[in-house]
Amino acid sequence: MPDAISLRTAAKSGEAKASSRATLADPRRATRLVLAIFLGPALLVYCGLTAYPAFRTIFDSFFTIEGMDATFVGLANYRELMGDETFWVAVRNTFIWSFVAPVIDVATGLLLALALYAGVPFARFLRVAWFTPVLLSYVVVAILWMWIYNYDWGVLNVMLRAVGLGDLASSWLGDPNLALAAVIVTHAWKWAGFNMVVCLAAIHSLPKEVLEASDLDNCGWGAKLRYIIIPMLRPTLLSLYILSFIGKMKVFDLVWIMTQGGPLWATETVSTYVYKRAFNWNTFDLGYPSTIATVWFLVVCAAVIILNRVLGSRERLEY
Amino acid sequence: MTSIRGVGKASGWGLGRGLCAAVAVAAAMGGGHAFAQTEITMWSNWPDEPAKKEWVTARVKDFEAANKQCTVKLSFIPKADIYTQAKSAVRTGQAPDIFYMEPDQPEFLAGGFLEPLDGYIDLNGLEDWAKPAWTSKGKVYGVPVEAYTVELYYNKDLVKKVGVDVPASFQLTQAQFTDLVKKGVAAGITPVSQGVGDRPFPGGQLLFESLLRKLGPDDYKKLLNGELSFKDPRVQEVMTWVKELVDAGAYPKSFSTLKLGESHFYFYNSPGSLTFPDPSWFTGRAFAAPEKGGMPANFPLGIMKFPAMDKGACPNCKTLAVAGSFVMYSKGKNKDCAGALLKSMANAENGTKWISEVSLQSGLKSDPAKIVSPHKAYFDELNARNKDVTYFFGTPLLYYRAKCAETYIQVMNNAFPAGLISVADAAEKMDAACLKK
Repeated sequence: MPDAISLRTAAKSGEAKASSRATLADPRRATRLVLAIFLGPALLVYCGLTAYPAFRTIFDSFFTIEGMDATFVGLANYRELMGDETFWVAVRNTFIWSFVAPVIDVATGLLLALALYAGVPFARFLRVAWFTPVLLSYVVVAILWMWIYNYDWGVLNVMLRAVGLGDLASSWLGDPNLALAAVIVTHAWKWAGFNMVVCLAAIHSLPKEVLEASDLDNCGWGAKLRYIIIPMLRPTLLSLYILSFIGKMKVFDLVWIMTQGGPLWATETVSTYVYKRAFNWNTFDLGYPSTIATVWFLVVCAAVIILNRVLGSRERLEY
Repeated sequence: MTSIRGVGKASGWGLGRGLCAAVAVAAAMGGGHAFAQTEITMWSNWPDEPAKKEWVTARVKDFEAANKQCTVKLSFIPKADIYTQAKSAVRTGQAPDIFYMEPDQPEFLAGGFLEPLDGYIDLNGLEDWAKPAWTSKGKVYGVPVEAYTVELYYNKDLVKKVGVDVPASFQLTQAQFTDLVKKGVAAGITPVSQGVGDRPFPGGQLLFESLLRKLGPDDYKKLLNGELSFKDPRVQEVMTWVKELVDAGAYPKSFSTLKLGESHFYFYNSPGSLTFPDPSWFTGRAFAAPEKGGMPANFPLGIMKFPAMDKGACPNCKTLAVAGSFVMYSKGKNKDCAGALLKSMANAENGTKWISEVSLQSGLKSDPAKIVSPHKAYFDELNARNKDVTYFFGTPLLYYRAKCAETYIQVMNNAFPAGLISVADAAEKMDAACLKK
């Protein structure tokens, strides 16, 4: 018996060792320890820099924080937010940004990509030139366009005056009716190159036999674009639209540098308002700004889900 | 006796231990230094204003020379960046030992982040009128280096060119100022150089200085404290007059985006304007070398009083305020060195140097007899315009807070002087945000 037991034990031990060797040899069957070692640092960074700040923001939204003292106020911040006129102006402006600007971004990117695909002269140079703004920081782009929009000597007004349209010269960033559009155009200029590159790659990956068949059928450029290229690019265009939409819902840098939300809150976005409430409000209270951030986080999540459903191609989108 | 012996024994033993410890410390230090140096950090504004920057640098160097145990890591950072960074840093205990602050940021004091300076500096080195700006519950929290009055600078030649004579009192009436604006517009010269592209206050200067002269200090204070409505007939009268100037073309077309530095250039370089309302810290930029954007050497600079309002309660009133000050972080770890540095700054000798070198008023005491300045003529004129005036302490942003301040910035600083909003709408918005119910 002892011999039999020892044999079985030895056999089990041998199997365990073999199993262990197999586990180590097969990376798809890593032990929990190995998994923890590999995932730990990334999880730590994620928890420290993303999850904790997010949960802390939600937690802080139920407090008023003055100096180092936090006072629990329940839903008072949320109730105050619902009656905050500036917040609703910021929401309106941000929605205009988020729904309108992506259309301009994607359409411009597609047009530029089609121009390159059609083989316009100097295509290689233009591809670099059109992509360059993507590489510039928001600060540089903002300063550049503030010069372009300058009333006295900005290129835009100088050109208008030069062609006899001086009456159209405006204070582009100083007029509440024009400021938001002016900043949206600046943003579109910066990102058109990115959309162009993505669209161009997508166009090049379209099945050649379909395009060749359309050529054989004597299909013109307009019809080919309308009935073949755009429908086949639909998933790419939707992905770009939704990516752009998410970016616009959080837009801050450009607005802050160019207008700081003015004039008369005409370019105020939710992000600039959060910043103002957190840092420019003669208070250290982070409770109320946290409330705005929490509400907006939920709005962005909801908007993306709704967009996915409405556009009806959730399974094909990746972001 | 026993006790004395005991003491003697203890002293001898203690002395022996002390000597051993001293030898050990000396050995550990390699005999290089007899004491440890403490480094304190200091954030100052004025990176783009040479005279002020040099004054701060000189004070720090003087302090380091006289206090070998302390060194100062001095950084010059734009004001807005100091405020933003300090707001995060004070919470996490990482704020500098000393930093720049103005009295219109009361949240630092309210949050308990500032150290009272009564035990560190000699308060007799500060002007009595400047102390209240930094006083809370009987303690003083800031060294008020920079003080200013709100002035109306003008180009003598251009004003003469458009056919307006500035009277001996240097104060135009409402009608005369309107005439000046209209003549300037007719001549193609911008009447008032002003821009709000990077500042929350300049657009309100003409209106609020006029309101001060119309209402007098008591009612003006009520207006700033939210105890008087912007729909008050006297306020409406002044706002209507300013709106008339705005509609006549008083301000540059680029008003909304013109930055403070650019509005200086606009006034004394190109394209030029008749007047330039600005705090007397005007000199920080104007007296820089012309090749660095300063005022040309032969510029015909004059200082007039803001216009007297019809039936105004106080034509000789004027705003006086404290601006750039230095405060100590209450949770700093090097308060002795920080306090010693502030003490070394807060005296009449340094106030005199500030006025001489920066050509600007100071909240530090000074000795007028010792002021030596290459801009003496300017100073004489500034003093003449400040003779026999009734000072009102503080600008609107010293009184306005939170939503009221934001509304002032958007409406009174920007939209109203830009002609984007009517008198009635502007008053409505200000009352909604500022009037105490």
